[in-house]
Amino acid sequence: MADLKSLKAKKFFPMLPDRQAKFNAAKAEMPEYSDNAMALAKALHPKRQYLKIAEVVERSEDCKSYTLVPDPDRGTTSLAYFGAGKYLTVFETIEDMPITRAYSISSSPKDSLEGKYVLTIKLVDGGLMSKFIFDTWTVGKEVEVSAPSGNFEYQPLRDAQKVICLAGGSGITPFISMANAIADGDEDFELTLLYGSRDVKNIIFKDELDELCKKCDKIKVVHVLSEQKRCPKGMEKGFITAELIKKYAPADEKYSVFLCGPQQMYHFVDKELEKLELEKKYIRHEMFGEFHNPTTQEDYPAGVPEKVKITVTIQDKTYIVKGNSADSVMQTLEKNGISVPARCRSGECGFCHSHLISGKVYVPAALEYRRLADYKFGCIHPCCSFPLTDLEINVPVAK
Amino acid sequence: MKQYDVIVIGAGNGGLAAAATCAKAGLSTLLLERHNIPGGSASSFVRGRFEFEPSLHELAGIGTAQEPGAIEDMFNRFGGDVDWYKHDSTFRLVVPAKEGDKDTFINENGVEVTLDARMPVGFHNFAKKLEELVPGSYESCMAAFDLSDRMFKIFDNLENPQKLIGSLKDFPDILRMVSHTMNEGLDALGMPKKAQDIFNTYWCYLGSPGSQLDFLYYLAMLHSYIKYGTGIPHLRSHEMSLAIDEVIRKNGGDIWYNSEVTKVIMEDGKPAGVVINGEKTVYGKYFICNSFPNTVWENLFDEKDIPAKQLKMANARKIACSLTTVYLGMNKTKEELGIKDYSVFIAPDSDSDKQYEAAQDFFNGFCIINCLNEIIPDCTPEGTSQLFLTSMTFGDVMKDIKPEDYKKFKTKVAKDMIETCEKALNISITPYIEEIEIALPPTFARYLNTPYGTPYGFMLEKWDSMIPRTAQYIADQPFDNFFFCGATQERGDGYGCAYYTGEKAGGIVVKKVKEGK
Repeated sequence: MADLKSLKAKKFFPMLPDRQAKFNAAKAEMPEYSDNAMALAKALHPKRQYLKIAEVVERSEDCKSYTLVPDPDRGTTSLAYFGAGKYLTVFETIEDMPITRAYSISSSPKDSLEGKYVLTIKLVDGGLMSKFIFDTWTVGKEVEVSAPSGNFEYQPLRDAQKVICLAGGSGITPFISMANAIADGDEDFELTLLYGSRDVKNIIFKDELDELCKKCDKIKVVHVLSEQKRCPKGMEKGFITAELIKKYAPADEKYSVFLCGPQQMYHFVDKELEKLELEKKYIRHEMFGEFHNPTTQEDYPAGVPEKVKITVTIQDKTYIVKGNSADSVMQTLEKNGISVPARCRSGECGFCHSHLISGKVYVPAALEYRRLADYKFGCIHPCCSFPLTDLEINVPVAK
Repeated sequence: MKQYDVIVIGAGNGGLAAAATCAKAGLSTLLLERHNIPGGSASSFVRGRFEFEPSLHELAGIGTAQEPGAIEDMFNRFGGDVDWYKHDSTFRLVVPAKEGDKDTFINENGVEVTLDARMPVGFHNFAKKLEELVPGSYESCMAAFDLSDRMFKIFDNLENPQKLIGSLKDFPDILRMVSHTMNEGLDALGMPKKAQDIFNTYWCYLGSPGSQLDFLYYLAMLHSYIKYGTGIPHLRSHEMSLAIDEVIRKNGGDIWYNSEVTKVIMEDGKPAGVVINGEKTVYGKYFICNSFPNTVWENLFDEKDIPAKQLKMANARKIACSLTTVYLGMNKTKEELGIKDYSVFIAPDSDSDKQYEAAQDFFNGFCIINCLNEIIPDCTPEGTSQLFLTSMTFGDVMKDIKPEDYKKFKTKVAKDMIETCEKALNISITPYIEEIEIALPPTFARYLNTPYGTPYGFMLEKWDSMIPRTAQYIADQPFDNFFFCGATQERGDGYGCAYYTGEKAGGIVVKKVKEGK
């Protein structure tokens, strides 16, 4: 039988003293190394970015573009670079109520290297944040945002070389960034944009898009107008239908479809896309956005009380608040002045991951991105969970 | 102000096990975690209709109902509810032929290779297969397993140098195994070089190659895998982490997520409390820390409060390598893709040191491809599967990469890795990618908060190996009320290793609190 006899057993005995000697011989100073992996992580994913408004451009009567630049006085000296399609979460406090919203960056990634992000925001009917922004975001205003986030990006190993982008209203913003990235040479794909607006005067970014098409032959734009009486040449009248997509999609080649727009648009276009029988991998949605009116959903249960009590523990503090069952857990907490970790507000990013100790919630299927073990151990995303009963929950602190 | 018996910093595997041990023993326990979910590496993430396993390859510590392995045993003791899926194969090692290679052959995939080893579970089966691949290796292989079997019988004594010396009369070989490397041990047993390479395939689970890793520790790890096969939780590692989270809460422990320790408060020359997110202070009698020591010294302490030995240790030790991983949600089943194994190690060279050297540069062809559906058929929706590619990479290879080049760079590395797998297995992957996520050392740096994004802690070098670390664990701790746990400690990287160090640190604190020290 083979054995270890040829190895010296006594080599063991100096091992501990030798190790101690190695330590003794080293410097008693803070170790120094240029950790470029950590540096890159911090540059791309800062915890917070402190910015200032440098310019406001009115795009239409209910849409404005805000240019944000670093605010070195509050510690931000440069902006995090990003892949076209990403969003920023904006943190604001409105009458003591902490509130967040995610907005796609409409400027090009290259602009961020020169210290500039642009957020293009549409005034939403009854929208708390958009109204606040319209009222208070003027040149010089201090703004706090997250690192660029989200997964709505072109990925050459996954997506087709040709991409049909379907935009509705302010859903145009990530596509403006993508088109600019293509023109700048930062992304490499052919983008055909079918862009739905009510009429010509409601088209946001009309001039920029014309300019981009002229500048770069990989970009093509078709305006689809639902309420225009006489459609100008080269524009389409009506809605984004399967028929229309087919008309502009390559006939004999795989193509990807990217969608960004209001929830009604997803409902309509998803049905149209079914007719095209595309592989799932070729259809990508930007996030759903905050969900309202769960009671209108077919699978929403009957007999839910209108008012509910939520007992929430954050670190060592417990609060008891009352709210409407038609509001998400996150909305109810915010309305009661309680800050909650929030990024996407669409169920997707998982940043608000919390423990449901007791009670039941309703989660709309379109926003269901929980991990499997979350169901087993009773974890929820408060941003898309609607109370069906009184709840007891444990939420991480907002930071 | 409330004073906790113990504050645990970091809810990685080590911190979770430590907090569960303390809470179960009735200590008032606070577990603090900078992320919004537990687990550190032991987690999961969702893209589209796929939920990916981010780091776990396989657990050695899942045994049988009669003989539960160490990890399963720990979960049973805690009362943690995890549904284990077991698997009775180990690894397949494929070395594709390069130009000029002699002794090549065409394998079952129709690929020209110099080596294709699919290794079974069970000592005898493993040795028999090794003999088949490399004639003349059976005896040395069985001798190695015999050594590991005998070592396991006195494994508990390894913790205690006194007891260890006592058991040497029965088993003097243990000294030889502790003080020699894998390569030296297998050479002494007369194992042919090529057989050693196959035998050493799992080196990357500990991050240290054959010329550095001690023979005893590698044998211990391999033993666990070969004896029982492997296991994996049904619902990704997130299930394990949430299971322990539940144990801690049920036993009265507090867990605060999004709660990063930003400062340690000192009183009378030792830690007395922590500041959380720069704004809230909490006090404790004992501290267990699952963070990387270098990061802790740099960020949480004033330099005057750091014991000189800790800085010397931080300077003397080598930060281990990091990883590059690619997660793929596939719109084809594993059968349609032509994947037959859970775990295939694809290597340009079978030698572990050459594989280790390749990690100094960006992707040089060493890649592990895992298909989780092989163990958990329902881990993805019908008609789909998920793949997980892993390569070893030192974090400092990122030095010339600017933020604006990073996305393109990531895509290029992923493309190279995918193509390497396609070629080595003669399969097609790229057209069927429905979801993809790519993680490089900066990704690990971001999530693990370790220097250079290493998940491995300090490299297990010859002079800083498992047994000396274990013997000097208490002496190596910075204060008599502050204990480190996790991959930077005795056993290096691995879920089981981290759990072990956490449970041990928890046990030390429980004993001290109960004794009223």
